Amino acid sequence: MINSFLAEPAWIALRLSLKVACWATLLDLLFGVALGYLLARKRFPGRELLDALLTLPMVMPPTVLGYYLLVVIGRHGVIGAWLQRTFGINLIFTWQAAVIAAAVVAFPLVLKGARAAFETVDTQLEQAAKVLGISPFGVFLRVTLPLAWRGVLGGALLAFARSMGEFGATLMVAGSIPGKTQTLSIAVYEAVQAGQDDSANLLVIITSVVCIAVLIAANKLTPNRNPQA
Amino acid sequence: MRALKLGVVLMLAATGTSAAEITVSAAASLTNAFKEIGAAYEKEHAGDKVLFNFAASDPLVQQIAKGAPVDVFASADQDAMDKADALKLLAPASRRNFASNSLVLITPAAATLPIKGIADLQLAGVARVTMGNPASVPVGRYTRHALEQAKLWAAVEPKAIYGASVRQSLDYVARGEVDAGFVYATDAAVMKDKVKVVATVPTETPVSYPIAVIAAGPQAAAGRKFAGYVLSSSGQAILAKYGFGRP
Amino acid sequence: MQINIDIGKTLRSGSRTFELRAQLTSSSQRIVIYGPSGAGKSLLLKAVAGLSTPDRGHIEVAGRRLFDSGGGIDVPAQRRQLAYLFQDYALFPHLNVRQNIAFGLQRGWRNPLARVDGEAVRYWLQAFELEHVAHQLPHQLSGGQRQRVALARALAPEPQALLLDEPFAALDPGLRQRMRAELDALQCRLGIPMLLITHDPEDVRAFGDHVLRMENGSMAEIRDMDIVERNEA
Repeated sequence: MINSFLAEPAWIALRLSLKVACWATLLDLLFGVALGYLLARKRFPGRELLDALLTLPMVMPPTVLGYYLLVVIGRHGVIGAWLQRTFGINLIFTWQAAVIAAAVVAFPLVLKGARAAFETVDTQLEQAAKVLGISPFGVFLRVTLPLAWRGVLGGALLAFARSMGEFGATLMVAGSIPGKTQTLSIAVYEAVQAGQDDSANLLVIITSVVCIAVLIAANKLTPNRNPQA
Repeated sequence: MRALKLGVVLMLAATGTSAAEITVSAAASLTNAFKEIGAAYEKEHAGDKVLFNFAASDPLVQQIAKGAPVDVFASADQDAMDKADALKLLAPASRRNFASNSLVLITPAAATLPIKGIADLQLAGVARVTMGNPASVPVGRYTRHALEQAKLWAAVEPKAIYGASVRQSLDYVARGEVDAGFVYATDAAVMKDKVKVVATVPTETPVSYPIAVIAAGPQAAAGRKFAGYVLSSSGQAILAKYGFGRP
Repeated sequence: MQINIDIGKTLRSGSRTFELRAQLTSSSQRIVIYGPSGAGKSLLLKAVAGLSTPDRGHIEVAGRRLFDSGGGIDVPAQRRQLAYLFQDYALFPHLNVRQNIAFGLQRGWRNPLARVDGEAVRYWLQAFELEHVAHQLPHQLSGGQRQRVALARALAPEPQALLLDEPFAALDPGLRQRMRAELDALQCRLGIPMLLITHDPEDVRAFGDHVLRMENGSMAEIRDMDIVERNEA
């Protein structure tokens, strides 16, 4: 019973979805934390405009995002053509493209979580650390991040859940190749297209369980007021 | 005078005698031809409106089976229509063949790979070949049969990128994301500046398109009229314009 | 210690403008800058510490030029070797007393461990009688204990001078006298020069060897303590 389940396309799709979601979330953390910190701390003309632009993927239809991505990283796109020329890589129809699609769609969730979390950290604490001789990056690692990690992680979990459910943009740039780019959400779509309702039901249940678990964890991390001196 | 016309239209709308909204689910490859047929039909039958729903044939059958309010169904192969028939969706004696097509192998217009026929798909340089998903798209089924007949399926299948419809496969080729693809001759004609037809692929079963009226459709009578129009000389002329063959 | 400051800075907020023009030359070990809130005292102190950059001028402490707009010198706060005591102490809430004290002794990217030990840490825990709360977090400490931890943290890296921002304002009045006496004794013992800003005349009385008055961004020397008393009446 276990063996036949493991060989099921559903299990393969789940593993792929988890892999894509993990990588997408890591990518989002890298950029989201950096940009969230920048937006929280630095004042510069056009700051809120930049914040709005970076949040755009959250409100745009995924198919629109997918189209933009296709145009940019496709074989004749600005970045795609360069990748093809320099490395011989074509991203379309690869799991890496699925990661990019999910990362773009889920990015605003990490950005918002990180920015809000960093804004709750008292800048005086960062100043104190600075005067005590710690470098800016050291201050970030030793003071800012430890006090903001809950908010950042909450954003990351939401991004993970969103990545698990990504469909529109992913389908456009990664296609639906079983084992390679057919994530759970796409597998559901294909099963319905082909009239395989039993398959679809199983996939829907699996996806729902994973997403609910992630959301419960994210809720538990609602930012706590850190005990202030 | 205008008030009188408005009054007549409202009266007709209220009685609902000749103003009908016909819903037609048709295979993706029929997109351009059917849109024009729909416009022509609306001109000849003032007040009627034709709404289209284009997708791969199998998903269309699924939608109808699950209760979608469709009046007419036109598919790209007999297989899909058989499925609809087995599910008892069709109005009796309404099924007719109305067009035929041919399967072609295409490549991106700017492609440089030496692909002259389906046998060349075995070349190592050919990494990606798109076709419809055989599980849900008729063109995928035709392609698979043809490749199996030519004993090439085992070599080509690992390179397959499935499209959700024939138009998606066409798009992949037009964008240059794949090295080659299988579509209908009529689809290749729609994008003749972006794709080039390398070869016509003979199929064991001729590519023939059936049309039928859906028994439970809300506008069954109007649906019959539309299906009749597709089979009439006007409809057939439009289909021929887009490259479809006689049924 | 020799201090030589002459700086100017303009701050704009909406339609209001604030001009800071501060001059100070002293060789005293205990300098007090006295004035009402909003006078610019904090801004001056932050400029000395390197937490704020003046628009023009120079800052020299113990023979080191820390800032000179003409010569393009602006030593980063990390390297000025000055201690800064914030009004609310700014203790790190996620680190215990030991870790707070040892914070400036570890320059890398990692915080000291919870059980951090070492000569300096032991010295300060003992000097301020904090041994029994060494493992506690700041929110568990009393006001007086927090101030002592903040002082210990600032002094542990052996700075050249101590900058204090209204050091007793956050304490209960009853506690202030005691803490003043403690700071007095400490400063004498260590011989570390200090620059203190305050709006409390009691602080001037206790620590004012060299007193300057600051109001609306500009400074003036005070020779007569009576002026201070009269202003408070």
